[in-house]
Amino acid sequence: MASDQELIIQFQASINREANFTALLNKHQQKVYYQIKRIVTDHADADDIAQQVWIKIWDKLDGFKMESEFSTWLFRIAYNETLNYIQKQKKQGTSHSSSDILDYENATASTDSPKSTEIQIRLDRAISQLPEKQKVVFMLRYYEGYDYEKIASIVGTTIGGAKANYHQAVKKVESFIKQL
Amino acid sequence: MEKDTELNHQDNIGNSLEQDRAWAESLLNKQNLSQFNLSTTEAPLNYFESFPDQLMNRIESEKRQKLEKKNAKIFFLPSFMQPLNRLAIAAAFIIVVGGSFIFLNNSVSKKTQAGIVANDISIQELSNEEIESYVDANEWIAEIDVQAQMQKENSKLSSLDEKQIEEIQKIITQ
Repeated sequence: MASDQELIIQFQASINREANFTALLNKHQQKVYYQIKRIVTDHADADDIAQQVWIKIWDKLDGFKMESEFSTWLFRIAYNETLNYIQKQKKQGTSHSSSDILDYENATASTDSPKSTEIQIRLDRAISQLPEKQKVVFMLRYYEGYDYEKIASIVGTTIGGAKANYHQAVKKVESFIKQL
Repeated sequence: MEKDTELNHQDNIGNSLEQDRAWAESLLNKQNLSQFNLSTTEAPLNYFESFPDQLMNRIESEKRQKLEKKNAKIFFLPSFMQPLNRLAIAAAFIIVVGGSFIFLNNSVSKKTQAGIVANDISIQELSNEEIESYVDANEWIAEIDVQAQMQKENSKLSSLDEKQIEEIQKIITQ
């Protein structure tokens, strides 16, 4: 399988642009979608944002200078597009609070005991109430296992800032769970 | 004491991925965290299979729309017909037409006013002094006219021969 760099070089040289772009898309589309969905939770919103992200990538890929990893650049665009989308929704007054749209039935369906279900619901609500930046830093570190340098580039902060966000996110979720 | 342990945790953040994960799991429960991940990494059936085609269609249609807009600008909206320029042209047209209308209207009304004044004044209404001062001011024009007439008559007389002069003198003496 060709590397991101090879695909981008061919795209920029106008060799099979569509095929090379589709190859990049197939490689990264799931991670982009999940990163977005972890913030907005609703599939229709996540799909809309994911399409906007990839359209932007198509438009700007010619100018990408490969000074950073393609995936870092891609996730940074995805993060910014998601924040813009949330801000627009808030302005229009159509924003769904993440806690409102949590699918509790889904959460209960695959759990074993009533106690774990309750804790699961609490955890979902607690994570959904985190500020977007802390939520993304927590997801990228805990679930994706990214290093702090990459996380800092994606959310536009320092390495120290990213570490602090991870720490605060875990502590806040813990205290939310205790309060609920 | 609790604050101290918190600070210790904060110092340990970022040492390794395993440590960061272990710390979060110790507070939030590993099973619950993996359950949360499952619920946020769900997508409708065949979503990822159909996504590339959907996206490429959207990119294609947006490209076409952009091209159409560009062409429309080139062929149907030259720069002087752009919305802002059109407003400027309309404003200039209104100023020119309006200005000339006002100007012409003013000069016509002045002329008619002068005509009305001239018609309203009749010679009976003028005093003798006014007439005399007018004659004094314009007397030299009349003098020039008389002199020109006399020169004309003199030139006619000088062209007559002696016989014609005698006949004229006879007619006068008779």
